[in-house]
Amino acid sequence: MSTEVLDTGFAAERESGVFARAGVLRRLVRDRVAALAALALAAIVVAALFAPWIAPHDPYFTDLTKVMQPPDATYWFGTDNTGRDIFSRVLYGTRNTLMLGLIGVIVGGFLGGILGILAAYYRRLDGWIMRLVDIMLAFPAILIGLAVAAIFGAGLPAVVIALVVATVPDVARVARGAAIGVMGQEFMEAGRAVGVSDRELIWRYLTLNCISTIFVFLTLRFGQIILIGAALGFLGMGAQPPTAELGMMAAQGRDFLFMAPHIATIPSCVIFVIVLAANLLGDALRDVLDPRLQT
Amino acid sequence: MGQQIVHRLLISFPALLGVLFLCFCLLQVVPADPAMIIAGPDAKAETIAAIRQELGLDRSIPVQFFEYIMRVLRGDLGRSIISNKMVSEELAMTIGPTVELMLGAMLIAVPSGLALGTLAAVNRGRLTDRIIMACSVAGVSMPVFFIGLILIQFVGFKWALLPFTGRTGPVWDGGLPSLILPALTLGAVLIGPIARLTRTAVLEVLGADFVRTARAKGLRERVVIVHHALRNAMIPVVTLIGLQAAFLLGGAVVTETMFSWPGVGRLAVGAIVSSDFPTAQGAIMILAVAFLTINLIVDVLYVYLDPRVQRR
Repeated sequence: MSTEVLDTGFAAERESGVFARAGVLRRLVRDRVAALAALALAAIVVAALFAPWIAPHDPYFTDLTKVMQPPDATYWFGTDNTGRDIFSRVLYGTRNTLMLGLIGVIVGGFLGGILGILAAYYRRLDGWIMRLVDIMLAFPAILIGLAVAAIFGAGLPAVVIALVVATVPDVARVARGAAIGVMGQEFMEAGRAVGVSDRELIWRYLTLNCISTIFVFLTLRFGQIILIGAALGFLGMGAQPPTAELGMMAAQGRDFLFMAPHIATIPSCVIFVIVLAANLLGDALRDVLDPRLQT
Repeated sequence: MGQQIVHRLLISFPALLGVLFLCFCLLQVVPADPAMIIAGPDAKAETIAAIRQELGLDRSIPVQFFEYIMRVLRGDLGRSIISNKMVSEELAMTIGPTVELMLGAMLIAVPSGLALGTLAAVNRGRLTDRIIMACSVAGVSMPVFFIGLILIQFVGFKWALLPFTGRTGPVWDGGLPSLILPALTLGAVLIGPIARLTRTAVLEVLGADFVRTARAKGLRERVVIVHHALRNAMIPVVTLIGLQAAFLLGGAVVTETMFSWPGVGRLAVGAIVSSDFPTAQGAIMILAVAFLTINLIVDVLYVYLDPRVQRR
């Protein structure tokens, strides 16, 4: 009997592989808004990845004879207050902004996932881990960013720490919820009965069955994390000049808002498009992969 | 009721200690040795040692931390390096404007979010619903500073309708015009999530038996929606507002910086940028305490709105 139950366990595990579930991609493509969002996000990621090859100008080259020019044929997005090409800077800035968001979501998702799954598996740890998570939830991300920047100095590492701390507690809660659900399944009990080791049970049975839920949740969080990172950049706690980062670029343009509104507006618009696309895609992915997360 | 609040207090206490420790660390990173600065460049080693002893710098870190907590409890947060004023005095001046800004934002966001969400729910599937939900997704995806930039550029500068820098005074003393744009910026971020959740909550309640009963009694549709449906839909919405407190606080820091609003957030950012550690420490502490307090209030409010929580 136990082998039968084990087989269903493995079947469930295979089935919930993120993109393995039948028709996920097809259903996503059929949702026109989601398809458009995916396309936009893909285009932005490609542009950011290949920034050095795509950028028409050097993002750090200042030309004081061409300051604050509105968008035209040579400078597609115009130039900033020191005559740098905004289009090239936006490409490089998107790179940094996306990287910050990705690191925050991946590292935070990894740590939070481990915490949540361990809390579900070892009931003894549950209380302690969840209290820790509650305490972490007691700190707004922006505040953590400010504190870290104050202690270690402003810079990209301060933002990364803030974004990771902002991601961990929520992911831990979601992962714990999903893992507790899996813990109640028969194949977990069966696995234990036939003497599968804890490590194997946690990894092959528990984690692989929770991954799609965690993945969907992280997609939904990605937009928010980008927004927090951009806000910290805007406050001057993140990337330092001349490094290009979208939030910081918007902050620099603020001083010239009335003479040359495009300097601040264009990077802000790009952030908006990235986050909007990520949110729309996240919503669609959730509907397809994990309707339980719906609020 | 007690349990919820005790639980929240139990979490708040270690969180508060964490905040204090973080702030204490902030004071430790002062680049130079304070004793050496006070003693001056030509001081002898004994003089420096004496000053160190006097300031308590020779004691172990845990003892220093304990003494720091005692000082904070007495309201002594040190002096600002830049202005040389007491940090507590600087904070006292900035708390009012920040509270004003946050209340203003809530006053804009909560009613409009509730109204839009209800409107969307009542018109489910129709064009109104789609437009409201599309705007809500767009609103959630917009950086706070983008909304601020647009408002400053058009309402403030081009059309010159409202002031957009600084605060002219308290609301009751002619300060209202200067509050509108910052509050609108901060509030706009919250309208989307509130509208979205209200829609879901109202839709759920509209299918409930007591709404059918209310309709069967022949009550007017408006009464049914406002008194029966919306009131019950408030419960998840209040929880959401509590969860959004982090958002509100972070948004307030950005908004204050943008509009030169003399609040705690701007004080914190300014202090960090100019390496004024005592002030930064004090401002961060106040913001964290404010956040913990908001969560506590929401928990109490939750019990008040949903008496079932008490019985559980």
